[in-house]
Amino acid sequence: MESTLEQHLDDTMKNHAIVGVLCTDQQGHNLGCRGSMSDEHGGVVSVLARQAASLTRDPTDTPIVCLESESGNVLIKSHGTITVAVHKMTV
Amino acid sequence: MTTALTQGLERIPDQIGYLVISEDGVLASAGELENDEHTAAIIMQMVQTAYKFRLQGATDPPFKRMSVMFEDHVYAVTVSGQKVFVVKRQNNHPEPVIA
Amino acid sequence: MGCCYSSETEATEQDRDERKPLIPHPNPDSKPSNGTERNCASLPSARTDEQALLSSILTKTALNIIDVSAADSQGMEQHEYMDKARQYSTKLAVLSNTLSLKKPPPLPALTSQPHQVLAGDLVPYSDMQQVSKIAAYAYSAISQIKVDAKEELVVQFAIP
Repeated sequence: MESTLEQHLDDTMKNHAIVGVLCTDQQGHNLGCRGSMSDEHGGVVSVLARQAASLTRDPTDTPIVCLESESGNVLIKSHGTITVAVHKMTV
Repeated sequence: MTTALTQGLERIPDQIGYLVISEDGVLASAGELENDEHTAAIIMQMVQTAYKFRLQGATDPPFKRMSVMFEDHVYAVTVSGQKVFVVKRQNNHPEPVIA
Repeated sequence: MGCCYSSETEATEQDRDERKPLIPHPNPDSKPSNGTERNCASLPSARTDEQALLSSILTKTALNIIDVSAADSQGMEQHEYMDKARQYSTKLAVLSNTLSLKKPPPLPALTSQPHQVLAGDLVPYSDMQQVSKIAAYAYSAISQIKVDAKEELVVQFAIP
């Protein structure tokens, strides 16, 4: 079954600045990934998202964690039960 | 020494508070982060987690700054000289981008 | 390390014997003369139950008290103090060595110019919106994965 998620990840990679994308659940299980992002990143990504969320008491204000460098950024964002990480190069 | 550490932080645009943390605890704090041990502890954990992030066999962490962005504020974090620097900045969206 | 008798749970009969004064105290109702000398002398059979109970409470209480002032009056020579201090500091040095091994690894530097890095432009708002949208789409895509039952889930076997 070619899932909607796989299709979504493929579509995301069509953006020329995006070189990697990953989707993980709350436990860090990899739900799908492309490009520079791989299985091994699921744990760190889900833990960072959870730790960031504990910085606020407002459950509706979901933070974005960004690991920044000159060449590109990795942006991490949770939505409901899943977390995505997008590796985007500086253009 | 502490003054030299914090002077630069006070001049950062939209800065509303900062923390300087070492492994032994908070070295300096001001503004909205004054004596905020709770935030300091979480940021410290996040830094330790972020160090584990590597891209394709690289040996160094692939970032020089970690930002945690909320609706109206941002925590900007970096590490230098065995100290973790945290600055809380206002997050002013210049104009809403309609995507 | 803990304090004196911190590992002690319940005084056994043997313990009581060891702490029993060699010469019975002339007046058992009085406070023990010092912390190390516990008055646990067996009670004369002539006493009434109530008195026995009272004495046992007193004995129990006395066992739980370390009379610091009395212990101090016993006196410790200066060199004994010095010896003890040395023993403790040696012990602590050994312990702190093993503790330092458990310390988390040091913090590798991410930059040599923290102030400039922190003052730099924030991530563009459009990037924040983009990642939020990708996350929202991914969530809705996951939500669409559900069991699509095409056959009967319970199959009846023809059992003779």
